[in-house]
Order: sequence, then C-alpha cells, then structure tokens
Amino acid sequence: MAGPRFVADPPEAARTVALETLTAFYHAPSGTTHILAPPAPQILEALAGRPGEADEVLARIGERFELASDDAPAAIAARLAELEAAGLVRRA
Amino acid sequence: MSESDHTSPSEGGFAPSRRTILALGAAAASTVVTIRPAFANTAVSVLNCQIPVPSPDQAGNFIAADGSVVPPGTPGAFPPAPRPLTGEEVKALLHNGPTPAGLDADAAQAYVKYIGRLHAGTSGFTCFASLQMPR
Repeated sequence: MAGPRFVADPPEAARTVALETLTAFYHAPSGTTHILAPPAPQILEALAGRPGEADEVLARIGERFELASDDAPAAIAARLAELEAAGLVRRA
Repeated sequence: MSESDHTSPSEGGFAPSRRTILALGAAAASTVVTIRPAFANTAVSVLNCQIPVPSPDQAGNFIAADGSVVPPGTPGAFPPAPRPLTGEEVKALLHNGPTPAGLDADAAQAYVKYIGRLHAGTSGFTCFASLQMPR
C-alpha cells in the first residue's frame, strides 16, 4: 500500500516547550507558533528529517508507545492532514 | 494544612513505563492550533520567515517568468534563488517594492509569481500565507 510520503523539518528548525499535556511548538522556517496536543508532537518527531508513509509513522511511534485507537489508519491520516494544513509536514 | 498536597498517594507506586499509552484521537478531533499574530510586534518574526525558491524537493530547477517550475536550463527561465527569500522581502515585492539584494529584478518577479502559486503543504506556504493575513 503506497500512500503519500510525508516529512517534517529537522529538529533544529523548531523550538518546543512542554506545557503539561500540550506542547508549544515554534516553527522557525515559517515563523509561526502552534499549540500541539498528542499525538501531533510524536508524529513530527517521527517524521523530522525522515520521510515516511502513514504506516511507517505508526510503526515508528509504536516503537515507543502503546497506540490507543479504534481506527489507527484513519486517525493517523487525519493527524497528518492537520499537520500538512498547518505547514508542519509536507509531501516528501 | 496544605503540606499533604506535596505527596500524592497515587504516584507512590508509579513506575514509569517505556510503553506509555498514546491516544491517536478520533479522525474528527483536532490536535493543532496555530497562533495567529494579532499584534504589530509579533509581525517581526513573521517577516523573518523564509521561502525557498523553489522548494527543497524541486531544488535545482528553474523558475519560468509565469512562476512555474521548469527543468534547469529552460530558455527564458531563471535559475533558483541563491538563498531563501525572507517574508519581509516577499512582502515588499508583492507591493512593487525594491528588488532584494543580490537578485535580478526580472528573476525576482518570477519568484514572486512562483510564491503566489504555493499551496498548503509546500515549503514556504505558511510563511507566504502569514503575509496575507490582515493585521
């Protein structure tokens, strides 16, 4: 299954501050700040400088976390679409 | 009376697990909120954002006068910008301002047309979009 491949900017392009359960994320290339809720920061970390499809993102995150979702493929696709619309990931 | 607040019985036996549960959320949920600059002083960082011309995945290609990305060496097209343009430079160009230092004037007009064609998800779009926002 070949879905679109996404990539995020490398970690040095961003400054993050953990705010309890949320993350303030300053994206230097765009000069914009975003407030992220899980699993958005984890997805950005999984794609930082490493292109991957939705399945690969799930696999990378799954190495560190127990994923909880009724429909993981739909959820990850929705998260990637959000991050793309925000300009934080792009098609690789 | 408040000393007991410092200890939480539920944390006493908590062993951090490497396998923390991460909820992926429902498809309809939202996990990204972008903070829009609403004050003049926040505009500074926006104007420092950068737009690569062309985007990194198209590096090396030329920019035609109409802003389209064409193969290197295409007659009448311009080489890639020698450096990413800043939001401030693009804003000036959009308002018929001066050509940024180090750029050919005709090439700069092609770059502006290229930037105007950017869409969500392409490198530089967020920077360009932020220039369009009213302040």
